[in-house]
Amino acid sequence: MPDWRKLVNEHLAALALEPYERAEVVEELATHLDETFLDLRRRGFSEEDAAKSCLSEVNDWSDLRRKIQSARRKEDIMSNRITQFWFPGIMTFVLSEAFLALMQKFGPNPWILAWGQPPIAMFYIPWLLSLSLIGGIAAYLSHRAGGSRRAVLSSIVFPVPPFLAMFLLLQFPFYFSFKEIAGVDFPVSLIIDWHGVHHITALAFLSALLGWVLVPGAALLVGGLLVQLFASRRLDSRRIAGS
Amino acid sequence: MIGAGIKRGTAELAVLSVLENGPLHGYEMARRIEQQTKGALRFTLAALYPMLYRMEQRRWIRGSWEIGHNGRRRRCYRLTAAGKKKLSPLRQEWAELFSALRRLAKVTHA
Repeated sequence: MPDWRKLVNEHLAALALEPYERAEVVEELATHLDETFLDLRRRGFSEEDAAKSCLSEVNDWSDLRRKIQSARRKEDIMSNRITQFWFPGIMTFVLSEAFLALMQKFGPNPWILAWGQPPIAMFYIPWLLSLSLIGGIAAYLSHRAGGSRRAVLSSIVFPVPPFLAMFLLLQFPFYFSFKEIAGVDFPVSLIIDWHGVHHITALAFLSALLGWVLVPGAALLVGGLLVQLFASRRLDSRRIAGS
Repeated sequence: MIGAGIKRGTAELAVLSVLENGPLHGYEMARRIEQQTKGALRFTLAALYPMLYRMEQRRWIRGSWEIGHNGRRRRCYRLTAAGKKKLSPLRQEWAELFSALRRLAKVTHA
């Protein structure tokens, strides 16, 4: 029987893995060739034909080396959780905050929602629209990294809990000092009697919650879910076609 | 005989499906797939192992060294919980694809 270990070891000498990992790959592939050879011999193949058949299992050893390297190392660099959730999620949050700051500095005046006097809340429409795009980017990145539906969805709505936390924080007396420090206004701010927190009505609070947390969350979801739907169909058909 | 492109696309489903019945090592897996598909799907060593390593990285399968009945060390692969979870939607996608192709090509069973 040919020395398959020696053969595989020579062909995969340049395999760029840790020594123990490389040794494992060599052993596994050599064992596969051993078993193939013995099986062919049992089935009546001559030693020469069995060896030829074994050798035909690999046409291009360099290509196999590259594929093994890629398969074993690619996902070591960033774990699945990072590529499928944390990276798209944090990117969504950073982009949404950056767009908000830009809109507040350079964007058009916000749309003010009012049911009588005083007005209840204001909406930065371009920012809300940009959130759909940002949600879409998050969905695409998470999906491309092989994220499950839950990972994709979580990365799309990643900024919502921070929005909620900031909203709750800023509703109270910290509002003015925080605004002075951060220099960023609410995307949807309550325009009520801020000097008297006691005067916050349930309606105003809910309106602000709607605009501060729920509407941005919905905007992120709209774009994200559309991209997720499109990307999953496209990638699935690609995978099925094997391209 | 099924074309090469489609074969590559079926690989993940084939591996997950044979592992559903219990752990197998690489050679056994390739043989099982070939036998069960009556030779329509055949994995060479060069096609099988990069795919197994990729699936292992995705945590769909887990490999561990075991001593076989002949006293030889072999790496056996098992389906993980994530792999089991992946199998069901994959089957669904393939069923939908074949159903769509049947409708399109008006293929009927002989």
